[in-house]
Amino acid sequence: MKTKLVVSLAGLLLAAALPMLAHHSFAAEFDDTKKVTLKGSVAKVDWMNPHIWVYLDAKDETGKLVRWQCEGGPPNTLTRNGWTRDALKEGDQVTVDGFQAKDGTHTCNARSVTLPDGRKVFAGSADDNGPKARGEAAEK
Amino acid sequence: MGAAAPAYSQGRGPAGPKPPEGPAPRTPDGKPDLSGLWERPYTPDMSAFSRNQAPDPSLPDDPAPRPNPNAPAKKLLPFTPLGKAQWEAYDPAKGDYTGSCMPFGLTRSINSPDPLQIMQNPKYVGFLFEQNTWFHLARINGQHPKNITPTWFGDSIAKWDGDTLVVDTVGFNGRTRLDTIGHPHSAQMHVTEKYTRTDLGHIAYEMIIDDPVTYTKPWKNVRTFTLRPDWEIMEYSCEENNKDFFEGHIKATQNPNAPIGSK
Repeated sequence: MKTKLVVSLAGLLLAAALPMLAHHSFAAEFDDTKKVTLKGSVAKVDWMNPHIWVYLDAKDETGKLVRWQCEGGPPNTLTRNGWTRDALKEGDQVTVDGFQAKDGTHTCNARSVTLPDGRKVFAGSADDNGPKARGEAAEK
Repeated sequence: MGAAAPAYSQGRGPAGPKPPEGPAPRTPDGKPDLSGLWERPYTPDMSAFSRNQAPDPSLPDDPAPRPNPNAPAKKLLPFTPLGKAQWEAYDPAKGDYTGSCMPFGLTRSINSPDPLQIMQNPKYVGFLFEQNTWFHLARINGQHPKNITPTWFGDSIAKWDGDTLVVDTVGFNGRTRLDTIGHPHSAQMHVTEKYTRTDLGHIAYEMIIDDPVTYTKPWKNVRTFTLRPDWEIMEYSCEENNKDFFEGHIKATQNPNAPIGSK
């Protein structure tokens, strides 16, 4: 499985520059001033239209575990870039960089999902007129 | 091929294989054949450049500071005062109709990132959008009805101008936006699209927006579509797991039954 993941990495890197989110605009839901970095354990992945969702349990500033849900790209685009739903499994430790929803819930738009060894899984939802699409550095 | 591989190849993403080379194919009646599964440039903002897509070169550059100074300047769309007011008032956080899976409409579907399957016979050209599994037909050599019932995608007729298929669409319901960033248009919009299969692997595409309510003059947008014989169209259900909307993170448009700009 590991080799397959590595093989599909080339496609993933390209996917980072790909249009991923057209079903709604970034600004309709997410706040580009609320950047979040979440380190935690994958609880579940919804590999479904119109976007995949990654659920993870991450510790908040008080050390309490909080369940986050983060939106990724559409499964069709991810499939065309070589990904399958198996690339991320329950219990995988990941770091999600993204932006929180404007409504303040533990909901985010994932710009990247990174495994402990630095490999990025699924990529983010670029070109939805979110920060990346507007040419701003995601790590602002 | 292991369990991780899809049942059929979906290619290698945006790099893709080299597009097939050769002359544009023709149908038995001698017309250019536009059929195929086409990768199109995602166009969330019709005033900005992207790969294989350019806004109207006759429009002035937007002098606003650019987040990425290496990117070409956006173009200033020729808004009427009403159009400008609608554009400046637009806030997708108050409601983005596509977030609730309402139809994108013609232009926003053409702008969508997922591939487009074109099918054609002497009477119809069919546009099968992977985005939300929508379709739209244009009647070749047809006429617009005298009293058009306004719709999301409008009423489309097409004719051949030499080797270019010109699609003419009116009868919009005015409930859509031109693009993801939210450029406005009215129900009076008239869209002209030109499809020219320049060779086996490419379509030269042009869209002209003519909407005197919103814009002082017609303006265009040009693109190149690339044939993807290594792809198959896939199912795309917008409603399936639309958590953004189901859980209230995205608001429905305030009054989805009203044309944009009306109360």
